[in-house]
Amino acid sequence: MSPRVRPRPRVPDELPELPPHLRPAGRVLDARLHLLDRQILDVEDVPVTTLDDLHVSYADGDDDVTSGDRPAFVDQVLTGPVLVTRVFGGRPPASRLVRIPWSDVVDVGVAVRLGVRGEGLDATWVQRWLRDRVIGRIPGGRHDPE
Amino acid sequence: MKRLLGVALGVLTAIGGFLDIGDLVTNSVVGSRFGMTLTWAVVLGVIGICLFAQMAGRVTAVSGRATFEIIRERLGPRTAGANLVASFLINLLTLTAEIGGLALALQLASSVEPRLWVPVAAFAVWVVVWRAKFSVLENVTGLLGLTLLVFTFSVVLLDPDWAHLVHTAAAPQIPASEGAASYFYYAIALFGAAMTPYEVFFFSSGAVEEKWGPKDVSQSRLNVLIGFPLGALLSLSIAAGATLVFLPQQIEVSTLSQVVAPVAEAGGKVALAFVLVGIVAAVFGASLETTLSSGYTIAQFFGWSWGKFRRPSQAPGFHVVMILGLLVGAGVLMTDVDPIRVTEFSVVFSAIALPLTYLPILLVANDREYMGDQVNGRVLNGFALVFLVLIVVASVAAIPLMVATGAGA
Amino acid sequence: MILSDLVDAAVYEDGRQLGFVVDVRLALDGPVTGLMAAPRIVGLLVSARTSTSFMGYERTGTNAPAVIARYLAYRHRGTFLVLWEDVRTVGGGDAAGSADARVELRPGFRRWSAALEQHGTASQA
Repeated sequence: MSPRVRPRPRVPDELPELPPHLRPAGRVLDARLHLLDRQILDVEDVPVTTLDDLHVSYADGDDDVTSGDRPAFVDQVLTGPVLVTRVFGGRPPASRLVRIPWSDVVDVGVAVRLGVRGEGLDATWVQRWLRDRVIGRIPGGRHDPE
Repeated sequence: MKRLLGVALGVLTAIGGFLDIGDLVTNSVVGSRFGMTLTWAVVLGVIGICLFAQMAGRVTAVSGRATFEIIRERLGPRTAGANLVASFLINLLTLTAEIGGLALALQLASSVEPRLWVPVAAFAVWVVVWRAKFSVLENVTGLLGLTLLVFTFSVVLLDPDWAHLVHTAAAPQIPASEGAASYFYYAIALFGAAMTPYEVFFFSSGAVEEKWGPKDVSQSRLNVLIGFPLGALLSLSIAAGATLVFLPQQIEVSTLSQVVAPVAEAGGKVALAFVLVGIVAAVFGASLETTLSSGYTIAQFFGWSWGKFRRPSQAPGFHVVMILGLLVGAGVLMTDVDPIRVTEFSVVFSAIALPLTYLPILLVANDREYMGDQVNGRVLNGFALVFLVLIVVASVAAIPLMVATGAGA
Repeated sequence: MILSDLVDAAVYEDGRQLGFVVDVRLALDGPVTGLMAAPRIVGLLVSARTSTSFMGYERTGTNAPAVIARYLAYRHRGTFLVLWEDVRTVGGGDAAGSADARVELRPGFRRWSAALEQHGTASQA
């Protein structure tokens, strides 16, 4: 499972300078550098979850992306069980993916911001369950600290 | 007064790091066995924690992101997950020890068996975490913890040979009665205690609780520069008291009542009352710091809502983690473990947690996306790298030394 | 496809292994469905090393602390950008773990500089 044991090609110490690619019209982000594992905040700055993975599909919504023939786009932010498989390997079935549509994202900085409230999202169901079944039932759980 | 309260976060953070129940005893043991010859380890530790806590505080003030969010973002889920497990176990071991320490203190006052006090102590910590405002808990425990300064006054009252004390601290030699392995084991224990990772988790999350922004970087620096050196001063005072009272008689400290003996000898009953208040405040403060840190780290790793500035129902996962931590800690104490020895095992987990906590802080403190113009300077980076190497060497050496010396025995 | 299928995938050209996907470059110029355009995959960043300790140094202006920056830049020397159009097939990552994932490039694809232009500094929370 560990990628480190795989053989890797040798790299010479001196390498030619590569040409820069034409800068795209929109803002450029590297997925891993700027998006993966960042905190997601809702419209009221309440933490929702972390950005655990991204879902990619072609423009027509077909997510069986197998080649670069056609442009592919990120259409969903994924969270939940996909984090477990990133740590231990494997891949969750599509039915277990917890999705936030990219259209809910309004800003990408040191945190990823959503334009909606976290309350209604699938991504917060565990928290809602804990609130309704455990924390909300303990006296004082719904009051401000003093 | 306002300025004094403004540094309460730094003071409480430092007390939890330098003066938790395990450290109170360790400092006294060190004094009784090695005199002041290990002062350098405390000094190195306080410089290290000042460097990195200030970096963590600045990152949080400027970017709004707390330390474990940064660890997750820089290291990815696998490596950050390893750090989370190690850090959480350190938190849990320390928390267990503190609850045990509170029960011991309550036993001193009541002569009821400590095990009966354990649920009471755990419940008291939970009530504060559940209901009290962050500012109240940091101000009360921070201020009451200052009564530990009576350790420093009693050293003065004992009227020591200052030249000799300073000389043994400045030109240290391993005492003839002790082996080198034990000496360096305790050196690493003192250095590691000063740099325990939950201090930066608590400090940076506390900065969010206090709503620090980019304007508060100087406030953060003040907290660091007052809090941690104060913790180091108290830790050295305890060692000095034990050096003066126990070292000449070859008595080795092993219990909490021996820790306070130098104070009683120097200042009588009044001083003893002060020091007991201080110890309870310090141990209670360390319980709060470790309980909250366990909630902060897990919530930040998974991106949950957290914080004492929210109602518990608005940060449910955060509160569930803390409740479970307290239940596990209290449960462990119901078996017959010695609470003071529990913290010794955290050395093992520190070997993983220390480098994986301080490296991401250093990287992000240099990242302009987070920090804008407030990135580290070259001198700071130079010192930070030296300490990073020291941290790795110390934490790796700690495990064989612990095995070889039977945890310093 | 999820992004983990691509990251860490082994990259081949005509049966010869070139390295591993260490990151996926995106540009915010896709269809606009909300406030932000959907990110389009521009290309893949390929290094001879796996990405375990990349930490972003290679591609951004961050160069401090110099010791760490130089070490990581050296480890990942030769990292290049390959455009999405030059990706012939992406496969193997569907049911299996991402370690088995494999990216095949078109013969005669071009290598571009992996550098990421410094854009926008601290966006304050």
